[in-house]
Amino acid sequence: MAIQAQDQADRLADPVPVALRLRPPERTGLAERFDASDPSPGLDVARNPHVARLLHNRKLQFFLILPNQIVFWTVIFVGLLGTAVPGLNFGAAITWYVWFCLVFVMMVVVGRAWCAMCPFGGFGEWIQRRTFWKRTQTTLSLGRKFPEPLANLGFVLPVASFLLLTWIEEYFNIAGPGDPASTSFMVIGIVASALVFFLVFERRTFCRYICPLTSLIGTVGSMGTVAGFRTRDREKCLNCKTKDCMRGGDQGFGCPWYTWPASADSNLYCGLCTECYKSCPEENVGLFLQKPFTSVVAPRRRRGDVAWAIALLWGLVLYQQINFVSAYNSLDGWLNTHLHIPHYPDPVAYLGLIAILALVTAAVTRGIAAVCARRDIEFKHPGNFADKGSRFRAYFIPITYGLIPVVGADYFARQLPKFFKSSPRVVPSVQHMFGSAGVHSWLYNVHLLSDPRIIVVQVAVIALGTVAALWATWRIATRELIPVSRSAFAVRVTTSGLVLLCGAVAAELYVVMQAAN
Amino acid sequence: MTLTEENKVAAGTDRPFARVLTDRCAGCQECVIRCPTGTLSMDTERWVALASGDLCVGCRQCERTCPFSAIVVEGPLMVAPRFEPKPVHPEHLLGDIGEIRSGLAGWPEALAEAERCLQCPDPTCVRGCPAHNDIPGFIGAVRDHDLEGAHEILRRTSVLPDICSRVCNQSAQCEGACTWSLAGGTPVSIGRLERFIADNLAVPPPAPAPATSELSVGIIGSGPAGAGAAWDLLEAGASVTVYEKESTPGGLCIWGIPDFTLPEAVATRPWRQLSEAGLDLRCNTTIRPGDLDGLLATHDAVIVAHGAGMPLRLPVPGADLDGVVDATMFLQGAKAALETGGDRAGFCATLGLTGDTGDTGDTGVQGRPEPEVLVLGAGNTAMDVARTARRLGLRATCVDWLDERFALARPDELDEARLEGVEVRFSRTLTALHGAAGRVVRAELALTTQERADQRPKVLSRNPEELEVQLVVMAMGYRSDPAFSDALPDTPVRREATGVPDRRWTASGILANRASAFAHRSPVGTLALGREVALWAAALPVGERLWAVGDALTGPATVVEAMAQGRRAAAAVLDSRPARPGRSEPAWSSRQRRVLVCYESVGGKTARAAEAVADGFAAQGDQIRVLPIAKVGSEELAAADLVMIGTWVEGFVVAGVGPAKAMRSWLAGLPRLAGKPVGIFCTFGVSPKGALRSMRQAIEAKGAVVVAQAAFGPRELGAKPGVFGPAAFADELARKATIREAQQVLVE
Repeated sequence: MAIQAQDQADRLADPVPVALRLRPPERTGLAERFDASDPSPGLDVARNPHVARLLHNRKLQFFLILPNQIVFWTVIFVGLLGTAVPGLNFGAAITWYVWFCLVFVMMVVVGRAWCAMCPFGGFGEWIQRRTFWKRTQTTLSLGRKFPEPLANLGFVLPVASFLLLTWIEEYFNIAGPGDPASTSFMVIGIVASALVFFLVFERRTFCRYICPLTSLIGTVGSMGTVAGFRTRDREKCLNCKTKDCMRGGDQGFGCPWYTWPASADSNLYCGLCTECYKSCPEENVGLFLQKPFTSVVAPRRRRGDVAWAIALLWGLVLYQQINFVSAYNSLDGWLNTHLHIPHYPDPVAYLGLIAILALVTAAVTRGIAAVCARRDIEFKHPGNFADKGSRFRAYFIPITYGLIPVVGADYFARQLPKFFKSSPRVVPSVQHMFGSAGVHSWLYNVHLLSDPRIIVVQVAVIALGTVAALWATWRIATRELIPVSRSAFAVRVTTSGLVLLCGAVAAELYVVMQAAN
Repeated sequence: MTLTEENKVAAGTDRPFARVLTDRCAGCQECVIRCPTGTLSMDTERWVALASGDLCVGCRQCERTCPFSAIVVEGPLMVAPRFEPKPVHPEHLLGDIGEIRSGLAGWPEALAEAERCLQCPDPTCVRGCPAHNDIPGFIGAVRDHDLEGAHEILRRTSVLPDICSRVCNQSAQCEGACTWSLAGGTPVSIGRLERFIADNLAVPPPAPAPATSELSVGIIGSGPAGAGAAWDLLEAGASVTVYEKESTPGGLCIWGIPDFTLPEAVATRPWRQLSEAGLDLRCNTTIRPGDLDGLLATHDAVIVAHGAGMPLRLPVPGADLDGVVDATMFLQGAKAALETGGDRAGFCATLGLTGDTGDTGDTGVQGRPEPEVLVLGAGNTAMDVARTARRLGLRATCVDWLDERFALARPDELDEARLEGVEVRFSRTLTALHGAAGRVVRAELALTTQERADQRPKVLSRNPEELEVQLVVMAMGYRSDPAFSDALPDTPVRREATGVPDRRWTASGILANRASAFAHRSPVGTLALGREVALWAAALPVGERLWAVGDALTGPATVVEAMAQGRRAAAAVLDSRPARPGRSEPAWSSRQRRVLVCYESVGGKTARAAEAVADGFAAQGDQIRVLPIAKVGSEELAAADLVMIGTWVEGFVVAGVGPAKAMRSWLAGLPRLAGKPVGIFCTFGVSPKGALRSMRQAIEAKGAVVVAQAAFGPRELGAKPGVFGPAAFADELARKATIREAQQVLVE
């Protein structure tokens, strides 16, 4: 044929491409920024075809949420309608003897595994998306953006809601457990507020900015061995013209957590919902494992809000130990009398003690900064609450990240007595729903472990956490503190000393708690 | 550039500024790579976008493109005022067919307007233009005083810049999609700049390839679609024959668009140039659907571009009275009457009009009142009819049942018509025509209401109106000849994108604003996406060696869409190299064969099988594309010589076994694949049962030819030597030179 076409292959190509003269994306500093936090390609479990098939399945998250949904609606109804004996009421028993402990195990091992199966967010999301699992294009939500000043507070708002919830829980003795109906009302409250947020705001605004558990799971979860969904080839992501993982594609929604797999440097905001994996048309997203504590030590972008969240969470868990000490009880009673609060916990004492404990931790880091910081470096740089820089923050933020293992261990140890003493009660509580078993059931009265041994386990957990925190702090100090310090030795001694002190205080308090009991 | 404030949004701010919400910025750089002014860069330490203060002009492209809405732009738009020529009112409307719209007065205005263009790196205007003109490119050439360069850039996508710049409704196309427009401001005068180029330097004629070609293409119709196709085919060296039923070529551009909008000299320019370039133009030749077989016997390919010339008629009581005519009859008659030496009075008399249509000025105050013409519709056809009626000395009232907010006419055309004395009444519909002595005398109108653009107006029973009329012209638009539609399978194609829009479009920001203020609430992004569907449908044949373009493909559309589709079909003809019986059959080996392997995979097994199939073809030197079905559209299908389609098999052992649901729905939504060779394969665990048969039926229903099929179980996928696996399947198929040979490769 005599057709003389200059380029046959391109005949049908659009003569003018979609994006004519896009600027090349910035690549400066990519290696320094992400090398430490990028998981090894060999740890991509989605390379296994069975896992890949599972992750591609749109029903996966539905079936993760469904059992929890059933359990928590049962908690609500049984809590309201069932027996008033807390240990026999399924609602109270499952929530306080087992669930809280399991969530801790999950966050320490996996990260945000609970978020992937959470019935509170899940319920809101089903309604927001108007589907249980399909990829829908329209939403029931008003789709508002969360106000920027509040969003900039990052984890501070969720910590505040966690403090509020804990105060309510202590005030009404919900987790004791006390009256099972209180547990139901608490769950209803969480579901309802989640639903409101899902209907007013876009994506998982509730889970990222409000959920009482999100700061705890985010920080403690960074010890986890699941890095989350990350890019397989960052260069491909940088050149991607569609960003389906963020905008949503044919097969998946855009990331509900505002995370881009190519720029995630920790598992902080990966809700493991699999949407980015499903929506990426290039199969360039993998589900990666990582070495434990990677998300504690490796991220380059340290955030002020996360550091303050850790300090406040540390204050809260210490508060929950100190409140067993008789001196505190006297203070609480004295304040209640003067402030006309009917009973424990006095809100001023509660918030005051937590704030003091957090501020003392911060003050110690400020002291370390004052002693160690180089004088020839300008630490100040502007930014919002999460990002601005100062000499204090240059030390406070990395050091508190290093404390995560101690804080996590303390929260975990705090849950152990209920688990060891009462978790078998879940069985009779289930039987009780069907009319059999009661407080005389042997499972109701059996303990997996009794008191002096529990203390040993608690102290051992704290010791493990302290060792992990020492290691993490060592690594963080090497990369982030020593380069800005006058003396490496001083940094090592002071930061390790702080970790040891925190561990010792937590362990000692368990012994004191036992004595108080 | 003189910067002035427009659309000031925040009191106290005198400059626009972008603010990055660093908490939710994920550092994806979608904004950074698109910002036209370089305001945005990356903070590589925190890996978030960074906005620097004084470069921002407030175009808000970053806001529209950010996947996480992590940028807020506040403040006014910093853009110079748009040059708006004052509306022209002819001194003597009666009989004046001089062009109404003026272009840019000269270089100073053109340069000032060109300076308003931000030269966006990802220009939304290009997507808004149905032909995808490189708008920043030609505007840049105007800035450089390079009209030749501008023509060169335009030529890549358009052969009718002089016509399109006059007749396009830019507010719903390029200008509606201009970044200024999407930000709520007034866009760059893209249409006037295009016209400036064509007015100041003649559109270069087609340059036929020196080699004579054996490829012979017949084109039915000489409208813009035919012109687009003929131009490209001629330039590629094909011999092109155009069949036109009228005595002059040009189609609707000649008789449907009055001279005061599109002067005849401009409308006929393409056909003059094409004829001079060697086009075989056969006027006064009517082709009926029954003649298609004959044409296909004499030509290698036939492109049906007969347009939509049949006027729509409203079936109301009294529609058959004397004095009720259609737009075609009116416009054709009026064109002859208004030409130099034409007989206006005679034409009016033919229509049975008895009022004073003489030279009494355009007010009709002397003598008897001007005869009243009722024009049904208020779209562009109705505007043409009404304004032509004014030039014949008639009073014209247009009625349309749409709400004025959702009017179909170009906004400037509506203004011009009103300026010329046309009364346009929206939210009304004709319910009956009453006559006296067999002639229409009175029209009965009912009020209507409409809340949304996509809602069908509701007819209200209260407050009906009556209007004394002497002539009723039905000008609601046109439709294609139904006899042709029946002969062309799967036409008309709906200009409507379904499913998740291409994310490249979303990324550009064109879909972010459903309706810009300038575009009079036209959702430009959605409209543009719909046009894209038709553009790619034009590349796929509707029958063996048979393509349909323009209004023949989609039903009534616009000049620019028809032209773009004509060019796309021409490209497809040149690409697929059809041959009429008797000419040597095109061999796959004559050029590198393009194989598209598309698959639906869930666990990766089918994807790996697809890769293996692709490797088999690649080993034979074929050009391969491997894509999941979600990424395969008409564009990819049109560009492939052979399509391999693979799926996993769903079901449990024996129950519900069949192709995956996603594959089934994708197959059901496929465009017409007339004669396209397709190979199918599936991967299964236990048994494929009827999966291949089911796929085969679905594909053959689309007109494709299934040339090979194979099912791969665990044994075949094991890649053991000696087992007929995906690679061997592809290898065997790839060795076949013709479709007939390939059809022997059937493996179950």
